[in-house]
Formats: sequence, C-alpha cells, structure tokens
Amino acid sequence: MTSDCKRREFFGLMVSSVLSLSPTVRQSVDSLPGSGPSGRLWDPSRAGRPLEPVVAADNDAAIQAIEKRLHCTCGCGLDVYTCRTTDFTCTTSPAMHQHVVTLAQQGKSAQEILDAFVRESGVAILMAPPKRGFNLAGYFTPSLVILVAGVLLVLALRRWTRGAPAPIPAPPPPPDASPAELERLRHELEQFQE
Amino acid sequence: MIELVIGVLLAAAAVWFVLQPIFRPAVEGRGTGDAGRVEDGEDPDDDLSPRAVALRALREIEFDRATGKLSDADYDGLHRKYTAEALAALRAETRDAGGEMRDASTVARSGAPHLASRISHPACPTHGPRPESDAVFCSECGRRLAAALGYCARCGSALEVEARYCHACGARVAA
Amino acid sequence: MTLLGNLALWVALLLGVWGAITGFVGGLYARPDLERSARNAVFAMCGALVLAVFTLEWALFHHDFNVEYVAAYTSRNLPIFYTWSALYAGQKGSLLFWATVLSLFGSLAQLFTARRHRVYLPFVAGVVCTVAAFFVTVMLFAANPFGRLPYTPADGSGLNPQLQNPGMVFHPPMLYLGYISMTIPFAFAIAALASKQLDSDWLIAIRKWTLVSWLFLSIGLVLGMWWAYVELGWGGYWAWDPVENAALLPWLTMTAFLHSVMIQEKRGMLKKWNLALVIGSWLLSIMGTFITRSGVISSVHSFTESPVGYYFAFFLLFAAVTSFTLYTRRLPLLTAEARLESMVSREAGFLFNNLLLVGIAFSVLWGTLFPILSEAIQGTKVTVGPPFFNQVNIPLGLALLALTGIGPLIAWRRASLPNLQRQFAVPVTAGVFTGLVLLLLRMRDFYALLAIAIGGFVLATVIQEFARGTRARRRQYREPAPLALAHLVARNRRRYGGYVVHTGIVVLFIAFAGMAFKTETEATLKPGESATVRSPYGWTYSFTHLGISQYDQLNRLVTAATIDVRRDGKRLGLLTTEKRQHVDALGRPTFQPSTEVGIRSDPLEDLYVVLGGVVGGTEQAVFRFTINPLVWWVWYGGMIVVLGGLIVMWPGGGSPAVKRAQAGYAVRLVGEEK
Repeated sequence: MTSDCKRREFFGLMVSSVLSLSPTVRQSVDSLPGSGPSGRLWDPSRAGRPLEPVVAADNDAAIQAIEKRLHCTCGCGLDVYTCRTTDFTCTTSPAMHQHVVTLAQQGKSAQEILDAFVRESGVAILMAPPKRGFNLAGYFTPSLVILVAGVLLVLALRRWTRGAPAPIPAPPPPPDASPAELERLRHELEQFQE
Repeated sequence: MIELVIGVLLAAAAVWFVLQPIFRPAVEGRGTGDAGRVEDGEDPDDDLSPRAVALRALREIEFDRATGKLSDADYDGLHRKYTAEALAALRAETRDAGGEMRDASTVARSGAPHLASRISHPACPTHGPRPESDAVFCSECGRRLAAALGYCARCGSALEVEARYCHACGARVAA
Repeated sequence: MTLLGNLALWVALLLGVWGAITGFVGGLYARPDLERSARNAVFAMCGALVLAVFTLEWALFHHDFNVEYVAAYTSRNLPIFYTWSALYAGQKGSLLFWATVLSLFGSLAQLFTARRHRVYLPFVAGVVCTVAAFFVTVMLFAANPFGRLPYTPADGSGLNPQLQNPGMVFHPPMLYLGYISMTIPFAFAIAALASKQLDSDWLIAIRKWTLVSWLFLSIGLVLGMWWAYVELGWGGYWAWDPVENAALLPWLTMTAFLHSVMIQEKRGMLKKWNLALVIGSWLLSIMGTFITRSGVISSVHSFTESPVGYYFAFFLLFAAVTSFTLYTRRLPLLTAEARLESMVSREAGFLFNNLLLVGIAFSVLWGTLFPILSEAIQGTKVTVGPPFFNQVNIPLGLALLALTGIGPLIAWRRASLPNLQRQFAVPVTAGVFTGLVLLLLRMRDFYALLAIAIGGFVLATVIQEFARGTRARRRQYREPAPLALAHLVARNRRRYGGYVVHTGIVVLFIAFAGMAFKTETEATLKPGESATVRSPYGWTYSFTHLGISQYDQLNRLVTAATIDVRRDGKRLGLLTTEKRQHVDALGRPTFQPSTEVGIRSDPLEDLYVVLGGVVGGTEQAVFRFTINPLVWWVWYGGMIVVLGGLIVMWPGGGSPAVKRAQAGYAVRLVGEEK
C-alpha cells in the first residue's frame, strides 16, 4: 500500500516534471511557494484533527483575555486560551472558544460572558475563584499569615536583642588576659582557616 | 527455575550478611568515642567547637570591618566581646587538656574537642586516641602511631611547624 | 525474570523491616551487634533493589510484553534511550526507582558519614529502612512493576509522546534524586531527636546532604521547566500546576534551611526551627510524590492514577504524626539561649529571608490545597490557577529578591547607619538607574520593571561584595588582584558560592519578567503566505510557510511544516514544526497526535512556532507564532545557580601543609605550658 503510493507519486513527479516545460500546467497542481492553491496532503489523517482557518476573533485580545480567565473542562487543567492554542487535539476548548465568540458578538461585556459561563458550569469554570465569601480566605490567608509571622518575628528579635550592649560603650577587655594568652589567641587566629 | 534458585541463594546470602554481626559480634565498639571533633581531611567549617566558633566570629568581624560593613566603634565593641569569648574557650580547652592528662580513661570517652589535646594523645587509626601522651605504638594493637599529625612518620618525633624533613631522623614528611 | 524481581522485592521488604527494627532498637539500647546488622541490612536492601531494577530493565529491553508494565510503557519500535527511561515513566517503575535510589543514598550515608557522627547511623539506617520498606510494600501490594498480563500482546502501547523527549530522560530522575536525598537529612534529624544528641553536631552531618538534595531539586526544576517549554507547546515553562508546586515547596523550605543553618552555626540559636524545616521539607517532598502519584488534585502530570494514593496518604499522616510527636517530646532539650547584638544585622536579614521563603511556600501550598478546602468547607469546587498564584506570589518573590541584595550588605551581628549608607550607595544607585533606563525605554509593565530594577540592585551588590572582598584581601596579604579573588572564593566557598547562586536567581527573575512581554498570534497560511509579528523590541518578524512534507520515522509518522523566518527583511533561517502520530511496531496508532515545536533561541528572544494542524487535508495550515523574550536566560540562570551550588559544596579541608602547621603549632603550645 505504502510503496504503491510512493510509486504513484514518483510517476506523478516524473510526469509533472516533463509537463512543467509548459508553464500553463505548473500553475494548477503544484504547491510551490506562491504558486496557487495548496495541494492535498498525502495522508491528512496523520496531521491531527482537521482545523478551520483562523479568523479575526481567534486573535482578538479581548476574547483571549476572557478565555485566559476560563478553565477548560477537558481535564487538562489549563485555561481555554492556552488549551486551544497548545493541544490542538482537544475539541472542548475550541467549542468553549466558539461560545465565548458567540456571546461577544451578541454584544455582551467580558463580565457578562464570564457570568454566563459560571451560571452554566459553576464557579470552578473560573481560573481564579471570585473574591467573595470564603474565597476571600483563599486570597488573604497567605498575606495575613506572613504579616502575623512578621510581627511575631520582630517581637522575637526585640526580645533577643534586649540587653544587648549599646553600640559605643563596650565591655572592658578581660582583665586577666595575660600577654601570653593574647599571643596564643593571635596565633590561633592566624592559623585558623587559612 | 533458575530464577528461583538464584533468588533463594541471594535471599540466603542477604540473611547471612545481615545476621552475621549478631552471631559474630566484632571487637570494635561503637564509634561514639570522638563526637564533636573534626577529623583530618574534613572541612574546617565543620568544626563547631566553642573555640572554632569564637575564632570564626573574630575573623568575620575583622573581614566585615575590612570591607567597610562594620564601623570602628562597632568593631571595637564586638572585637572585645568575641576576644573574651575566644579566650574563655581556649582556657576551657587548656583546662580540659590538664584534666585529660590526669584522668586519661575519661578522655577516651568524652573526647573534648581540643586541638592541643588531640596532638598530645596520638591516635591509632582503629583504636582512637591513646591515653598515653607519649605513645609511639598503640597499646591495644601495637600499631605504630606515626600517622598522628605533627609527628614524624618514621620515628614519631614531634615535628617543627611546616617542617619538610624530620629533625630527628631526617625522614621526608609526607605532604 | 519477573520471578527474580518479585523475590528481590520480598527480600528487600524483609530486610527493610529488619533494618528498621534493629536500627532503632540497636540505637536506643546501644547494641553494637544490632547496629551493625541494621547497617548491613541497608547495604543488602540496596543490593536487592538494584537487582529488582536490573530485572525490570531486562524485561524492558527484551520486550517481554507479558509483563504489564513493559506492555504499558514501551513498544518494539521505541528508541532504546526511552526504553531505558521507561523505568520511571510509569508509577510502578517510579516507585521502584525511588526505593532503589533511597537505599543507595542510605548506603552512601552509612559509608561516608564522618566518624564523629557515627552515633546517629543506626537511627539513620532505621529511618531509611522504614521509608524504603514502605515503598516496597506499596509495590508489592498495590503497584507491582512485575505484574503479568493473562495474555501477551503482540506489541506494547508505547511511551507517551510527551515523555519521548531528552528532557524527560533527565528531569524525573533529577527531581526524584532531589526528593529522595532529602530523606537522609530527615533521617539524621530523626536520629538526633531519637538519640537525644541534640548539640549542633547533627547540623554538620546533614548540611551537605541538604545541599546535595537542594542541588538535585534545582536541576530537576529547571529541567522540568525546559521540558514543559520545548515539549508541551503552550509557550511557557511554569503554570503553577500542582505537580510543579509540589517540587517547588521543598525547594523553598530547603533554601530557608540553608540560610538559617548559618545562624545556628554561629549563635547556637534556632535549633527548633531548623529541625522543623528539615522535617517539614521531607514531608513536603513525600507529599509531592503523593500529589504526583495519586491524582488527588487534577494536573497535567496525572499520567498515572491508582489506589496508591491511599497508601501515600496513610504514610504521610503516619510520618507526620510520628516525627512531630518525637519533635515535641524533645522540645525541652532544644532550648538555647537566644541572643543577638542588634536588630539591624545579617542575622535579622536571614530571619526575614526565612519568613519570606516559608511564607511563599505556605501560600503555594495554600493555593494548591485550596480547591480541596473549598470543596470541604463551602461545598463548591473552585479552580485555583496561575492568576491566583501570580497575584499572591509575585510581590513576595520580588521582596525576596530584594532581600537577596540587602542581606549581604549588612554586617553580621551589628550594623550602624554610616556603614549602611556606604554599603547601599552603589547598589541602590544601580537599581534606580536600571529602573529609570527601563522607564525611558517605555517599559510599562510594573512588576517586570520592578523585577529588573531590583535585579540590577542585587547584581551590583554581588559585584561590590566580590570587589570589596578582593580589595580587603589585597591590602591584608599584598596579593595581586586575580590571586586575591581566587583565594577569597576558595577560602569562603560557602559565602561566595552563595553569591553566585544569588546571581543565578537574579538572572532567573529577569527572565521571568521577560514573559510579561510575550506576544503571540495565530494564523492560517497557505504555502507561500506569510504572517508578521511585532516583537517587544520593535522588530518585525515575518514567517513564510514554505510547505508541508510527510515522512515516516522509527516509531512515528511525521507531518512537518517548514517556515522561513525573516527579521526586518533580513533572513534568519528555517524553522520546522511537526505533528507526530506515534505508531507501534505493527503500524497501529498509539497516542493522539503530538506537536513538536519549532524554536529559535537567542539571548534576547525566542521564536516559538507550533503547527496546529491543517485545513481540509491540504497544505494550508494553522500556526501559532509566539515571541518569548529572555527565555534563554532561564536555562542559563539555572546553570549559574547550579554552578554556585557546586562551589558551595566543593569539598574543603585545607591543604595538608596547613594542617601540619596547625598541628605543629599546637605541639609547641603544649610544650610552652609545661
């Protein structure tokens, strides 16, 4: 089967190269750059899911911004925009994209579109939970914990530094340090880690 | 079948290997005798004896002043404080060393983290520091204790600082 | 060979149980015979598990498709490289890999621990054996890699195409090595607690292991980002996926530990905190494995889901309860006099660094677990995605980055205002200058601007530190500058290696900031047509679709689109992006078609081209063109971090001559005193 196709192609190529002597034929079937309609692939099935041409709405920044806040339900864990532009095998995210585009064409604002999705599928459709109710705990607990821990740390630091000598009046040098001892210390210091 | 045989043989070998120390206890005891001491070849950073910590602090104060992080007033205060600490640590070690010489048997167990005491008690590679400060051979296994730092590898004499040859027997000091 | 593999696992389990018992009993009752038995059990278990790995690899290489694991993850036409790495492609093999590497690390710890820390070793053996025995139990009772099928398929289903990437050969083992090596510091911490030998000695025994584990985890994280970037095709490298978070968490707490450990070394303080960090890091690493393997939180990494999750949940709970019970019982022994000279000191800086690192870890953990929490408390499932994490963590991360520069400028113990002014003058100027230049260049993204400005500040700090240190050394020892610099680093490897790590972190943050300027567009192109994209630097790229070719490769059918790239009319070269339909040896398709991204990387920006698919079976194709500024620096920043880590870890010990000199000097001292 495979070799058959190759042979056919091979002959086709030979024929077309002969025919290419006449410029009129080259225009119609070829797929060389800038030379007219694109040719069919040998085996389109291995190129993944067939796609529709990109339209302006696909690159619309406003639509993308909405889609980045919507969670794709295919199980990928990504947002709709990322899913539809990453894993082109997924059919869920293009469908959701179409839905967003339709709603947008009806003249709905971004918030209205998001609300519509939440009505249909629940809060989990949003990439980040809305800031109300218990979700506020989700947003503010980390900052709160860090703030409290920071205050505790400052208090602890104050306790640890209490009673520390003021910078200028230093404790007097140990009175009983004999010159021999100081000399020994000096030597040890010189040898230490050198 | 072969797999089964191999597996059983290996299991038997593992059992023997694991049980052997129980049925044939070795003479060697636990290696707890020398806790707190830095061995030869170890990172000096790993020495956490009071002496090392205090000396390190002094060097750091020195360095922080040299790089302009510490004002002269702060330097003076900190320097005095940590000099006092370092001296205290050195004195404590000297005291320990004195104690060690008097009661050699406790030394082997407590193993004070002290450089001087380590040198005055040459160590046997298998039996640890010797109680006799002038030991040339290990009193347990008879091994020559020449490997001790600062001692000649051939005759065991104490070496001079940075000596490249032993002043007593002329042997080259291993690098 | 699966019989032998199974036998090896059983032997390993028995050895693990034996080692756990003898290790703890021997350690607690000071029985040298049991201690040595436990030590031997670790070695023997390592041998048994290596044998099990060997038999699994044997089955993989011999295409024994009657073995379920082999049939599930390989096929006859899988490249040999990936046949080898299929060992950790699936859950069961990963468990085997985990247990084996753990026993290997355990053996290394038994062999290479300094003599003065031997007192901990029986307990270490006990902990290692317990953990390894748990993993072997899971394998034997829930996920046996040697399980057989009732029939023998003609060919296996092959390896997930996303895993057929060089990044995937190295990323999982590195991450696992990081997770697993964390067990050794944890084991030492438990040993210190169990043996009541709680002076700072345990710290020394584990500091290097923690560094090893930190380094592997860093490499694993960067490789993971690289894999996600080149393979997953969404044009980014970090998505706050639960599994990514799980790897980041222990990294954060370990980083905190590596800083706070210095305070304990110098002041003898924070013993409780440091022990808690070690135990916490290990629990987080186990939780990481649990999250990855259980599918409790949905994630792109959920390649594998099974009842193994329950085992892990139980073990996690057991380990957490046991270790923190032991910890709280030993708390009275851990009190140390806490004393600092000043609020304005390096010590205080380190404490705030710990606050931020642990704070970030907490907020990441919180965000990861919040969906579960929300479902339990308010009954609604919510999604916590990148917007949430970015909102919470970007400010914290920037504060941490700033501390990276502030800390080194403050002296240990005490600092006063004039000196602080002198230290901060140059770096702050550098930071402000960077910010102003960026403003003039019309950079409008607040966080990106802040990140790069702070980055400039930190870099200036690092350079100033090296310069002033070298100058101090030159003055003190009269050395020429290069020699002084070399000595400076060699004598203070931890400090200056740490600064190199800081440099790497700055580079990473600047690279992250670049992602704020990612631009992308989708286009449908017929051969000969072009799409143009404006890059953030103001260049105009034009991508011309040249055509599509289809051909067969070893285990895949390839559809490749070739694109001609020009920047402002100047030709840069060709990019190829592919759709790959993987097939088994019989030509049957195995997975959904996967995408191979075409990437052109340079220090300023990456061109990232994805072939989405074709329209109507013709050469007209849908492409996504993405321009990712500064991504190059993520990989090189990662390398700088690793380099710094290696400098820190480089074994010290001083030259023999120095040792001799010290010894000789001590001899003289003793002589004088007599």
